[in-house]
Amino acid sequence: MIRSDLAAKLAGRTTFGADLDRPGMLWAALVLSPVAHGRIRRVDLSKVRKAPGVVVAITAPDVEKLLPKGSGDPERPVFPTREVLYRHQPIAAIAARTLSEARAAALLAEVDIDPLPIVDDIETVFPEWPEPSKKPNSAVVAHVHARHGDLEAAFREAEFVHSETYRTAGVHQVALETHACLAEVEGAIWRVTTSTQSPFSVREDLSSQLGLPESAVVVEGSWVGGGFGGKTSALLEPFALLLAAAAGAPVRLALSYREEFLLGRTTLPCVVRIESSVAKGRVTGRRVRMLLDCGSTMPSRDFATGYAITFLLGPYNVDTFEVEGYGLRTNKPPFGPHRAPLIPQLTFVIDSHMDSIARRLSVDPIAFRRAHVWHEGDSTALGQRIGPSGIDSALERAEKTVLRWRGNAPREHGFGIGVGYWSTGVSAGGEARLRLTPQELVIEQGEREIGSGSVVRGLVAVAERSLGLPASAIRVAYSDTASAPFDSGVFGSRTVGALGQAVQKASEELVRELEARTGTKGSLRLEFDGRSIRAVASGLRRPIAELLTPEELNEGGLKAHGKFYGPPMKFDESRVVAGSFYPVADVVGAVHLAEVSVDRETGAVKVHRYAAFHDVGVALDMAMVRAQVEGGVVMGLGTALTEESLWSSEGSLRNPGLLDYRLPRLNDVPPIEVYPVEGFPGAGPFGAKGVGEPPIIPVPAAVANAVADATGARVFELPLSPERVARALKLL
Amino acid sequence: MTAPPTITLTVNGRTLECRRVPDDERLLDTLRWRLGLKGTKEGCRTGDCGACTVLVDGESVLSCLALTHTVEGSSLVTVEGIAAEPLGKAVVAAFQAEGAVQCGYCTPGFVVALTGLLKERGPKASREEILAALSGNLCRCTGYSPIIRATERLLEKHR
Ligand code: FES
Ligand code: FES
Repeated sequence: MIRSDLAAKLAGRTTFGADLDRPGMLWAALVLSPVAHGRIRRVDLSKVRKAPGVVVAITAPDVEKLLPKGSGDPERPVFPTREVLYRHQPIAAIAARTLSEARAAALLAEVDIDPLPIVDDIETVFPEWPEPSKKPNSAVVAHVHARHGDLEAAFREAEFVHSETYRTAGVHQVALETHACLAEVEGAIWRVTTSTQSPFSVREDLSSQLGLPESAVVVEGSWVGGGFGGKTSALLEPFALLLAAAAGAPVRLALSYREEFLLGRTTLPCVVRIESSVAKGRVTGRRVRMLLDCGSTMPSRDFATGYAITFLLGPYNVDTFEVEGYGLRTNKPPFGPHRAPLIPQLTFVIDSHMDSIARRLSVDPIAFRRAHVWHEGDSTALGQRIGPSGIDSALERAEKTVLRWRGNAPREHGFGIGVGYWSTGVSAGGEARLRLTPQELVIEQGEREIGSGSVVRGLVAVAERSLGLPASAIRVAYSDTASAPFDSGVFGSRTVGALGQAVQKASEELVRELEARTGTKGSLRLEFDGRSIRAVASGLRRPIAELLTPEELNEGGLKAHGKFYGPPMKFDESRVVAGSFYPVADVVGAVHLAEVSVDRETGAVKVHRYAAFHDVGVALDMAMVRAQVEGGVVMGLGTALTEESLWSSEGSLRNPGLLDYRLPRLNDVPPIEVYPVEGFPGAGPFGAKGVGEPPIIPVPAAVANAVADATGARVFELPLSPERVARALKLL
Repeated sequence: MTAPPTITLTVNGRTLECRRVPDDERLLDTLRWRLGLKGTKEGCRTGDCGACTVLVDGESVLSCLALTHTVEGSSLVTVEGIAAEPLGKAVVAAFQAEGAVQCGYCTPGFVVALTGLLKERGPKASREEILAALSGNLCRCTGYSPIIRATERLLEKHR
């Protein structure tokens, strides 16, 4: 595999956020709220400050004194001032000479909070469910509603209306490395090195939370021990920076694994009522209602509901529909991004429902989906035109594979299909700079590698194709937000699709400049002989050293800057009744096939074989595509079968550890076959489509449909734990 | 109170003295923060992820659970020293060839654990036995498939 980061990682030489260290560094710990909801009467740190090794301890009133402008965004205070909103919300922070001293001191904080009633269950705070709310409800923090066509007529004229209710659990990203950062305040510069998927988002958050100009905040990404969405915005950085400012020394703050579970912003529970009218073997109308647990204080709750809800209509043509969603505030940590946040769960809903209708009609579930699935030129629910889409082609291949697999499997095994799609985040922009020297091409950009390879390999693959150079002549350079060109972040499967286009544009600019210098046109490529780079065109073959000016040779090479800011996308606003919806940027489809057996006594599900058919547009590096699919499928198996955040009625997470929150392990993994579906180009460079998130999306649906195929019983709730399957089988 | 004792360890072939090691200091912290060997990763600290695996006298040990004074006088191999051993070098090469690394946070633990297993059980160990024993190590990125392929590649080579 071509990845320049592997050797250092295999030798243990890579510095992750958790490995950061400075001379004179202090260690930090957080004081966490003992209740899930309450009015703060007093936070007394006097005993903490006297504890051995403690250098500084800060809480809400101290923040103002430390900030140059005296305050930050009142909507997003660093520490709560009046009310705590979730259990384990940080209410104070401590820096000490050692970690054990900081942690021991945290226990000495005297915290007096008057408990308030807790909202933990979205169905109880929404008594009208599943009917839309007519009464004002203070728990509702987002409401989205869209419709099109005459749904009442469709329902009236249908042969039947198929109605189901599904529930999905909260899940955690569980990156192996917890959040970790190191803060230093020197003069007017607030500098933090941190394990993040988006240094520029962290800068923006810090600037607003701390009331500092962006120029005063410098964020440097460390290597990231897994992100999966959990490291896209600031979490620990404000605490660490304030402690560093208070102490006048560098401060390291890293979460323990338990804290990672308790404080992480994750996917929260969701309930969906889905109803489809069916006539002549087709879905003629669909009504969807959703309640989403938004946790406390989510800044982008509209985004979560409005972006998520249209996925409940699936990649299917249903022109007559109504979707209505409510985001509800609960006393849990805020909802946060997670590899395709909520979409594996919602795909489980829509694709279980499609499967269930097909079974009711006694038609082949794949043929039923193929009769409805999007093709190029079709429209999304909100009237956006679909570009080249390989979903049907993937379904066709899955259809053949099922036949083959059924032929050689034991009778009691079941086979299930999951059909999902993702909208790659190509609308979030970014920039890159290239530097061409006689010996190498350097890609200067603002991200760090989070593991998927999208930076360390993806950007290199784009430059390779753009210029003709081999990967061995290309190096990715990393720097902080003060010197790197802007980029939105490594999320939304956008790195290659969006930042990659900035690299592509900069490459084109380099070529134009070299063509101008050599008087060639239209065919110039670069070649590398292992030592130096040459420009090659018809009748031309010249070392780069001869094409650069003396200044360029002295100052790091010939430079080119590429920017990519996707054009604004539109949808049919007339279909929106209320709330904010989000356009689909670039549709990427995936079809998965699972073969399972179900233990008829315990309800335990075993996955025997798995195949994933992915609409990748053009695979820039097939080994990397395969790696993303294999990893995403296994993460999805966790969502499907075992992973579930459990809360007590007091609002605490009951399973904040790897023993009780069960991830897939090595011996749970079935053989996974990965098939790229090419020929349906996407919006990315050379027609590439994002591949980071799509692989997790169809997994719970494929597994649930396979369980239904094996047993005839449908499970309406994720994860498909043995207990839930046993209930569906009427064993309990 | 008497001063905590000085402890002698051999780490990757070098004999080192650690002074004033408190009784409750964990080997993981000794390696990472006292000796600066941060290749050994801290994951859960509760024995549930395997990221902190090191070899103590040739055997895999979860360094987050081991107290430093209990390994006094032992010979340790961490990821930084693993490639100095022929078996460790082969494991690293197999991981590289199969691309069994993404973020790399679980990698040191896997490389060390697999080296230890191959050493302990011998090159004739069965695939199932090795894979079952590796199942205590968690990886969130790769889906394990390339790690399984790397293991198979190694076992084949020794057959
Ligand atoms: S850190 Fe030791 S097992 Fe997880
Ligand atoms: S490579 Fe990231 S946890 Fe294994």
